[in-house]
Parts: sequence; C-alpha cells; structure tokens
Amino acid sequence: MTIQKLSRQSANATTTGRKQRKPSRGATRNRPNHLPQIVLVGLLSIGGLAMVLPFVWMVTTSLSRQSNSAMPRTPTFWPPDPSLFNYEVAATSLPIERFYLNSLIVVGLTTVGYLFCSALTGYAFAKGRFPGKSFFFIAFLSTLLLPFETRMIPLYDLMSTLNWNNTYWALIMPFLAGGFGTFLMRQHISNLPDELIHAARLDGASEFRIFLQLVLPLCKPALAALAIINIIWRWNDLLWPLLVTSERDMYTVTQGLAMAGRSTGIHTGVALATATMAVLPVMIIYVILQRQIIQGIAMSGMKG
Amino acid sequence: MTIPKPSPADARPRVSAGRRAIRTGVFGGFRRTTVWYAFVLPPFALLVLFVCLPTAQTFVEGFYRETGPDQRQFVGLDQFANLGTTGVFWDALINTVLLGVAFLALVIPLAAILSAMLNHVRRGATALKVIYFLPQLTSSVAVALIFLYVFQPDWGLLNGFLHILGIDDVPLWLADPSFGLTGSRAAVTLLAVWSGLGYFILIFLAGIQSIPVELYESAAVDGATPLQIWRHITLPGLRPTIIFLVMTGSFDAMARFGDLWTLGGPSGSPARTLQSIVMLMYQVGFVSHDTNQAAAIAVVFFVIMLVLTVVAYRAFLSREFKARS
Repeated sequence: MTIQKLSRQSANATTTGRKQRKPSRGATRNRPNHLPQIVLVGLLSIGGLAMVLPFVWMVTTSLSRQSNSAMPRTPTFWPPDPSLFNYEVAATSLPIERFYLNSLIVVGLTTVGYLFCSALTGYAFAKGRFPGKSFFFIAFLSTLLLPFETRMIPLYDLMSTLNWNNTYWALIMPFLAGGFGTFLMRQHISNLPDELIHAARLDGASEFRIFLQLVLPLCKPALAALAIINIIWRWNDLLWPLLVTSERDMYTVTQGLAMAGRSTGIHTGVALATATMAVLPVMIIYVILQRQIIQGIAMSGMKG
Repeated sequence: MTIPKPSPADARPRVSAGRRAIRTGVFGGFRRTTVWYAFVLPPFALLVLFVCLPTAQTFVEGFYRETGPDQRQFVGLDQFANLGTTGVFWDALINTVLLGVAFLALVIPLAAILSAMLNHVRRGATALKVIYFLPQLTSSVAVALIFLYVFQPDWGLLNGFLHILGIDDVPLWLADPSFGLTGSRAAVTLLAVWSGLGYFILIFLAGIQSIPVELYESAAVDGATPLQIWRHITLPGLRPTIIFLVMTGSFDAMARFGDLWTLGGPSGSPARTLQSIVMLMYQVGFVSHDTNQAAAIAVVFFVIMLVLTVVAYRAFLSREFKARS
C-alpha cells in the first residue's frame, strides 16, 4: 500500500502541472455534427449501465423476501414482493450500527491524527532549519518503500504485547504517521511564501502558533485531498482489522460485511440487505462530494 | 489573513530587524532550532515503533525457526528453501501474477478507449465520470460480496443476461476451479476490471489533457481522421500515463487481498485458485501460526515490491531524460 505512493506522486508532478494550462480541450474543439455525440454518449451510457446495474440488482434483490428461497432465472429489477423483511433480519442478527460507530471512530481519529502529523512534519521539512533535517526527511521518505504486508506479523505481535488487540488503539495508532502525507504536505507548504512566515515571527508568534493559525488554514486543499485518500483507504481496509479484532463489537463496517458474507448459510436477500446497508451511505456521501473526491484522487494519483 | 505584502523597498530593513529581534543571543537561536524537533520527533517515534522496527523484525524472523515455546533457532535460508519446494507458495505467487497480468491486459485498453470517448463528450461527461468511478469507491469487500451473487451460476445477474442473449452454455464462474484463466479466475478478473475501471479512466483523462494542444491543431490542419489522431498523437502521448498505470496496477495486484478473501476465504477456494501471496501470508501466519514461515513469505513479497519500484523509477527516469533531450 505504501510502496506505490512515490511513483504515483512523481507521475502526477508531470500530468497535473500541465493540465492547469489547458483545462478543457474536448469542450473547445468544434464538432458541428451531432451524430457522433449521440453515439458517444450512447455507448458510454451502456458502459455506465454495466457499472450501476449490479448495485440496482443488489438493492432490489434485498427488498424481496422470496429471494432467500428462490431466485428468478431471468434477473428482475423490481422486487415481486417489496418488504423490509431482509433488513429486519440483518439488523437483528448483526449490530450494524455498532460497526458504523467503530468505523466512524477509527477512520475519524486516524484521519485527524494523520493529517496533523503530516502537516507538522511537512511544515518542519519545508520551512524549518535544524541539524539532521535531511536525515529525518530521507527516513520519512524511505518508509514509502516498506509495504504494510511486510510488517504486519511483527506489528500484530506488538499489539498483543501492548494488550491492544480488540481495542481502538490497535486500529488507530499504527496509521498516524506516514511518509506519503509528510511528502505531500512538504511539497504544498514549500510553495507558501517565506515572507508570510517571517512576518508572523516578527510579530512574536511561536512556531507552533504559526503552524496552527497561519500554515494549516493555507493548506486546506492539500489537507482535503489527503483526508479523502486516507478516509477511503482506512474505511475499506480489511487485512489489519481482520488481524487485530476478533470480537464482533469491535468490527468495522468492512470487516463486519466480510465476516457476514463468509458465514455459512446466510441467505441471499439478507446478505444483500447487509451489503446495501454497508454501501448505500458511502454512496450518498460520494454523490454529494463527488467533485472534491474526484479532484482529490486526480490530484494525488492515489485511490486510497 | 490580511497581512499586507511589504514592498521590496521596506522589506529589507524589516526582515533584518526581525532577525535581530529573534536571535537574542545564543539561547534564542537555540530555541528556534530545537522547536523543530518537537515537530518532527513525535511522528518519527511513531514511524520507528510501528513501521521500521516491525519491518526489521520480519527480516530477522525469516531466518529463524520456532523450536518450542519462546525458543527459536537460527536456520539461515532454510525457511526460504522450504518455500521454494512447497507447491502452495508457487501456486499463490503464480496466481497473483496471473490475475494481475490479466487484469491489466483488460483494464488498460478498455480505459484507454473509454477515456478517449469520454474526452470528446461535451455534455454529461461529469455524470459519466461519477458513474464509472462508483465501484472504485465501494470497498473491495462489498464489491466481492455483491459479485458472489452476480456470479451465481443458476440465477446470478451475469448468467441471467447471458441467458437473455441466448447463450445457454453459461460458465460456472466462481464454482469452477479449472486451471488457467477460466472459471473462478475469469470471475475475479472481471470483478477487478469492473471495480478498477473508473480510476484508470480518471488517470487516462488527466494524461490526455497533458498532451500539447498544438499537436491536435496541426493534425486537424493536415486533415487527419479522429481515429488517426488517436493512434498517432493521443496514444504515443499517453505512454508515460500507461507506464504509471502499469506500475501502480502491479503494486496493487501484488497486494490484492480484500476481495479474494471475501470470495474464497484464507485458502482462496475453490481449490486455491484464488489464493494471492498476501492471503498465503495470512494463512500461514494466522491460521497455521507459523510466524517464521510467514515472515519468509513477507521478505519475498518485499523483494518483489522493491524490484517493481526500481523498475518504475527507471521507467520514469528514462522518460524524464527523453523529455529533456
């Protein structure tokens, strides 16, 4: 997960820089005939339908009680017997609201901590002057070469030693500091004018106050992009929660869903109702924030 | 945030006065330096504790064998030699590479074509982008769970459509453990393409927009057809984007875990056809509890990722040189 970050960053240094100059070539090119447009949109819509249909099918199947016993050979996109029966079964057999609470706490605290740590080190490496700066910076960068999968077993042992298994600590603490965030924030803060920070120092502000009240507010776009990537990454992670949480009350949404799907004898309708409850809220947030999310991903080249 | 921008004339004396005010003696300068360690050291400590030390420990454990409770013995390269002779390890490695290659071979041409089309759409491009990106944002676990039913041989969505199209000899998808790229492997490859397409299209679109517009203008003057323009200008201009996507796609493919685990469990059923290298690591380390053997797999995994990184750097560096000369 970490190893690809550097190369993603370097690719986008070249792509996004030029993008700014010519934002919309497709729109400015003149094509008088309308037929190709219709054909293009038509073909792309067929592809788009293929993207959406599995989700629609998931929702309609989850709304049908008889999908648990017999499914039609020809797929239908309207439940023959609409009812919330499957949702009631799923909600009583699984503490899905507890999964959501866990995910919100874990992802929220991890993201706040990760943004804070990244901005802190990014500021020090961009504007600070202290002995050993390049050593520390190279140390932060080289952690990008260490994939999470390589360290997960000793990390699990460490969690056991600390008695952190089945606690939020285990899900949060290992993900607070990282090379990628430091690198991204350093790039961004380097572009802030030095005069601004000097002026604040003249006014007698401490470095920490400059960081909190001057630098952080100026970093909002970079912080937003970093937050989006981190939220997607942490929300969707399965491997680490699988290792450190075994009690059902500590499951995240992703882990709870995976465990429900793996449990033997789960009925189709109930499984898809569970999936709908795990997917739909995320989708609604995505549709509301789609511009920021797509921009954040295109800007950093990371998909979380 | 209304700090007046000082004009160059009065900036100079002010800054030097400030410098004097800040560095009041040795102690002031010392404090100005040490404060940065307060910024860097706490995150650095976290990094050492949760990243560096565990990674180092993996490398140590790969060379030991557990001989009893809390007892271990240095065995040199035995663990690695052991890996080389176990079919399960090679199966998982070949599986991971095979699934990765199949995924990239499908998704890159498809995303190249779709992004070229999307780039010409004048109205509704944003909505289409949002739709294509939808599965990417859904967790791989949720996608896998949905597709567990989409791939159901008798009444699943996919075979249902194949029936409508008049195909009666439908594949069994996940229920078919046949070797090669049919059955379960074809199913998880389709799943990966479906869910990864949006990201590839997004990066391709950014790449298309980085191609100099003058090239298109001169091609239009020469009377080139859209297909010719795409073949001779867009495609060569996308070379760096394609290299980038192949490399990052390879990293993700090597680390594939969530969707395959949801569909096949730690052993990658049916018949281990879906076991990736990370799943094997999980199974050996946390189901069979052979920490040292799992550490050896982790070391091999690290070496593969490092080689991929070096190849990626070389590809990017050679590109930079070409751009400069």
